[in-house]
Amino acid sequence: MRGSGAPALPLRRKYPVLRLRRLSSSPDFRAGFVGMLPACIGLIPFGLVCGVGAQAAGTGALAAFGLSTIIFSGAAQILALQLFAAGAPLAIVVLTCFVLGLRLLMYSAAMAPHLASLAPRWQRGLAFVLTDQAFAAAIRRFNATHDPREGARYFAGCGAALWITWQATNLAGYFAGNLIPPAWSLDFAVPLCFIALVAPLMRSVPNMTAAAVAGVAVLAFAGLPMKLSLVVAGLLGIVSGTLAELGMERWKAR
Amino acid sequence: MEGSLKLWSIILLVGALNYASRLSFIAIFARRSIPPLVARALRFVPAAMLTALIVPMVVMPAGAIEPAGPRVLAALVASAVAFRTRSTLATLAAGMLALWVAGALLPWAPAA
Repeated sequence: MRGSGAPALPLRRKYPVLRLRRLSSSPDFRAGFVGMLPACIGLIPFGLVCGVGAQAAGTGALAAFGLSTIIFSGAAQILALQLFAAGAPLAIVVLTCFVLGLRLLMYSAAMAPHLASLAPRWQRGLAFVLTDQAFAAAIRRFNATHDPREGARYFAGCGAALWITWQATNLAGYFAGNLIPPAWSLDFAVPLCFIALVAPLMRSVPNMTAAAVAGVAVLAFAGLPMKLSLVVAGLLGIVSGTLAELGMERWKAR
Repeated sequence: MEGSLKLWSIILLVGALNYASRLSFIAIFARRSIPPLVARALRFVPAAMLTALIVPMVVMPAGAIEPAGPRVLAALVASAVAFRTRSTLATLAAGMLALWVAGALLPWAPAA
């Protein structure tokens, strides 16, 4: 103690674990956790597939756990593993995964006004669990409530449920991976998981344009070295979708 | 570069960039808003990038383009199911079943 008059540090300040315990017992946190469970069940096959993918790529258990805890994004984990297995240079792997992760900028921008009044440690913590599923659920809660702290606790609950599900399914997939006979062609589950995400988007012409251009381009540029075809096709698709939407708006305005 | 060093570099760099993207407008450039054209373009990232990932896995599973293999047929079935149901589980079930059936029935290509 420096001065005899200095107030003692509150216990919660001193031991962040106590803060987490208080958070996890709040009703908003629990509502977020429970509200996320249906999405978590839907995520089980994808998590298993990511774990199996890490096992098939021969990463070792620790790196497989690193993939799911540090990257914490199924599509980026699969993409990174594929490029790694194909022997692409580090810079290309990182660049391609960055382009795939650009959608997170969009989530971040949409979430920013709701989190603006919160303490930096809340912002940094919640950003870590900002994923497709948590974003969709939390943004609904923020729009329904006027208290950003309530929304933040709900968001934290969503994030915790997703994070636990993701680590458990990735680990289970990793350790169960070599039990599945190759004749089942379970590697095909990877594109199927992505198809489940993409096919429902094909209700708008600009999205269809983006997908069609990217799909054709990735085959046309398949001969490019270092797996550059993925990032080139992705960027062409993004530009085409944007141009298609701008063109449609201009055409409608006439 | 040695295999496991390269893999850990990938994990840490991709993880750091992903986290930076998540934190971007929340904390790093909190005072700026996203330019409208950029916001528009970002909405097409999933359709474009995921399709670029899917197509080679389906059309050229062994390195050569195979336009009517069992994987292409199974992917079409799965796409139709995903479009209608929006369910990962239903898509996986339909796609795997279609792959096994097509692999058993199509005379020209094994499923694996």
